[in-house]
Amino acid sequence: MSDQTHMHVEHDIAPGDEEQHSVGERIIGYVVGLGLALLLTATSFFIAGTDLVWQPSIPVALIVLAIAQMGVHLVFFLHITTGPDNTNNVLALAFGLLVVFLVVGGTVWIMSHLNQNMPPMDQFIRMHS
Amino acid sequence: MPAAPTVEAMMLGKLDWSAIPFDQPIPLIAGGVVLAGILAVLIWVVVKGHLPYLWHEWITSVDHKRIGVMYILLASMMLLRGGSDAIMMRIQQAIAYQSQGYLPPEHYNQIFSAHGTIMIFFVAMPFVIGLMNLIVPLQLGVRDVAFPTLNSVGFWLTATGALLVNLSLVIGEFARTGWLAFPPLSELSYSPGVGVDYYAWSLQISGVGTLVAGINLVTTVLKLRTKGMNYLRMPMFCWTTLASNLLIVAAFPILTATLAMLLLDRYLGFHFFTNEAGGNVMMFMNLIWAWGHPEVYILVLPAFGIFSEVVSTFSGKALFGYRSMVLATMAICVISFMVWLHHFFTMGAGPDVNAIFGIASMIIAVPTGVKIYNWLFTMYGGRIRFATPMLWAVGFMVTFIIGGLTGVLVAVPPADFMLHNSMFLVAHFHNVIIGGVLFGAFAGFEYWFPKAFGFRLDERWGKLAFWFTFSGFYITFVPLYVAGMLGMTRRMQHYDVAEWRPWMIVAAIGMAVLSIGVICQIMQLVVSIRNREALRDRTGDPWDGRSLEWATSSPPPVFNFAFHPDVRGEDAYWDMKIAAQQQSLEHEEPEYHDIEMPRNSPTGFVCAFFATIMGFALIWHIWWLVILGSLGAFATFVVFAWRDHDEYVIPAAEVAAIDRVNLEERRNLVSMAGAI
Repeated sequence: MSDQTHMHVEHDIAPGDEEQHSVGERIIGYVVGLGLALLLTATSFFIAGTDLVWQPSIPVALIVLAIAQMGVHLVFFLHITTGPDNTNNVLALAFGLLVVFLVVGGTVWIMSHLNQNMPPMDQFIRMHS
Repeated sequence: MPAAPTVEAMMLGKLDWSAIPFDQPIPLIAGGVVLAGILAVLIWVVVKGHLPYLWHEWITSVDHKRIGVMYILLASMMLLRGGSDAIMMRIQQAIAYQSQGYLPPEHYNQIFSAHGTIMIFFVAMPFVIGLMNLIVPLQLGVRDVAFPTLNSVGFWLTATGALLVNLSLVIGEFARTGWLAFPPLSELSYSPGVGVDYYAWSLQISGVGTLVAGINLVTTVLKLRTKGMNYLRMPMFCWTTLASNLLIVAAFPILTATLAMLLLDRYLGFHFFTNEAGGNVMMFMNLIWAWGHPEVYILVLPAFGIFSEVVSTFSGKALFGYRSMVLATMAICVISFMVWLHHFFTMGAGPDVNAIFGIASMIIAVPTGVKIYNWLFTMYGGRIRFATPMLWAVGFMVTFIIGGLTGVLVAVPPADFMLHNSMFLVAHFHNVIIGGVLFGAFAGFEYWFPKAFGFRLDERWGKLAFWFTFSGFYITFVPLYVAGMLGMTRRMQHYDVAEWRPWMIVAAIGMAVLSIGVICQIMQLVVSIRNREALRDRTGDPWDGRSLEWATSSPPPVFNFAFHPDVRGEDAYWDMKIAAQQQSLEHEEPEYHDIEMPRNSPTGFVCAFFATIMGFALIWHIWWLVILGSLGAFATFVVFAWRDHDEYVIPAAEVAAIDRVNLEERRNLVSMAGAI
C-alpha cells in the first residue's frame, strides 16, 4: 500500500528500535576502541618527551595524533559511521563543528581587534601626563 | 582574622529580616496580593477536591499536550508580571521630567532588568516551547514526543526559574544590571547584593529546562514521524521547530558557560570578567551575545512557522514556495550564528570586524524577506478569511517589516554608533519581538486553542484584543523611535530634556491602549469558557485545516491518533479530505489495536522542587540546604532511572470507543461538504 512512502521510515529508525547487535559484538567494538585510544595516548606522551624524531615535527605529530584520537572516539564510542541510519548523526556533528568553529574563531578574531578604535596607549599616557 | 561564623550565618547564610523590603510599599503590596491570590486558589483547589485531579492529570502528566498547555499558562502569567513592569516604566518616564518620578533609582533599575529577563526567558521562551510541544507531535502524526518524562522535567525546571525570579520581589532584590547582567556592574564589587545571584541561578536552572526541551523536540522531529512524512512533507511549523531547537541545543550551553563564569567570579573570587587581575569584561559581551543573537531566532523562527500555517489555512491555499521557505529557515538557522557582534559594534573593534558582521547582519534579512514574499504570494489569489489568527498574521507582516527595516538600519555600523543604547534601539527590538514573537504566539494561541480544549475562542473579543494591541503597540513604540532620534538613551530613571517629554507621555497613553488589548484577551478567554457549549468544535477541524493536527478530535485523545496517518504529500490532511470527498467513504469499521502510552511520573515536579530549594539556598549562601537540594534532585533521577513499569496499555476496545465518536462527526462533515 505504502511501499514507496514507507522507504524513508526504514532508513530512519526511531530511538530504541535499532537493530540489536549481540553483546559480544558490541564489547569487541568498545575494546578495540579503548585499545586504539590508549595506543594513541601513549604515543603522544612518548613523542612529547623523545629526542628520537626531528624536534620541530613534534607539535605537528601531536596534532595529527589528537585528530586521530577524535576519530577513534567518534567511530567506536559515539558510533558515527557512514551507515544509512547515520545521516542525522553526521549532519548533527557537522552542524556542531560549524557552530564551534564560528563561535571560537569569531571570538578569537573579535577579541584580538578589541582596541582598534582606542587611541594608542603611549599617546594616551602622554595626553594625561 | 575573620570572625568565626555564627550559628545563624551557618543556618541561614545571608538571609535575615532585612531581606524583606518593609520600607518599599510597591513590591510588598504587589507580593502580598499575588501571595493572597495563590493561597486563595490553593485553598479553593483543596476544598473543592480538585487536588487529586490536578496531581494526576496535570502536574505529573507526561502528555505533550498537557505540558504544552502548562508552558503556555506559565508564559501567560509571566506576561502579566512583565507587562506590569512595562506599565510602571512607562508611567515613570512620563512623569520623571525634571523630577524623580515615583520609582527610586534602585527600584527602577530592578524593574527594567526584571522586565527584560521575564519577557525573554519566562514569556517568549515558554510560549513558543509550549506551542511546539502542543502541536508538533500532532502535525507529525505521532503519539508522543521522544522523551516524555524529560519533557515534564524541562517544563518544571522552567517554572522553577520563574518562581525564583518572582521570589526576588519579596525576599531580597532583583538584579539592577539590565537583562543581560553586564560586568563589571554585575560583579561582586558593584553588585554586592543577591540580585545578580537571583538572576543567574534562575537562568541557570531554567536554562537546563530549555536545553532539555530543545533536545527533546529535535529528536522528535528527526526520529518520530508518521508513515510517509518525509522531511519535505513536514508542515512549516515542524521545520521552524527543528531549526529553532537546533539553535537551542547549540546556543544555550554558551549562556550556561558564560553565567557559570560570572558565578565563579562572584562566589569563588575568580577573575573572568573583573576589571582587575587580568579579567576582560568584553569577553562577557562577546560570549553572551554569541548566545543572545541565536536566541532572537530561537524565538522568532517558531513564530514564522505559526504564520506559515495560519496564512496558508486562512487563504485556503497551499503555502507558496514551500521549498524556498525550508531553505530560508535553515539559512537563518546557520547565519544567526554569524552576526552576534552587531550588538556591540561600539565596543572598539576595527572596521574589518565591524564591516563583516554588519554585512552578515544585512544578509540575514534576505531569507526573512523571502518568507515575507512567500506569505504575500500565499495570500495572493486566495479566498482569505479574516478570522482572529489571520488578523494577527497580517498585523505581524506589516509590523515586522517596519522592525526589520529599522534592524537593517542599525546593522550599518556608522548608523549604529549614533543609535547604540538609544530609545531607537529599544523601539526596534520591541518592534520585532512584539510584532514578531508575541503576535506569533497570540496567532498560535487563537489558532490552536480549539485543538487544545475542544471549543473555539470568541471572535468578537479576539478581534477587539487584536485591534487594541496592534494600535497600542504603534502608539507606544513610534514615540520611542522619535525619542531615540532626539538623543534619548535607554534605561533613564529621570531626564531634563523638554523635547522628550511629549513623546514619553504619548508612549504612556499607548501603553494604556495596549493594556486594554490585554484585558480584551482575558475577557475573550472568560467569555469563551462561559459559552463553551455554543463554541464547541465537534469535528476537530474548526478552521478547515490542512495539516495532521486537524485530523484528530479536539481535544485529541491521550494517544493523539487511533491509527498512524499515512502521508502522501504536503498538506497531508487536506489531501485526505479531498480524497474522502471524491471517493465517498465506505463506512467500514477499521480494526483497532491496543496502544501503549508512557505512564505519568512525578519526576519532573519533584526534581524542580529540589532544584528550587537548591537555587534559593545558593542565592542566600545556605550551604547545607544546597547539599540537601542537590542530593534530593539526584535521588529523584536515580529513582526514575530504576523504575520498572514505564508504560501502560489502552485496550483496543477503549481506543475504538473514543475514535468512533469523532469518526462519525467527521463523516457527517464530509458528506455535507459533498452535498454542497
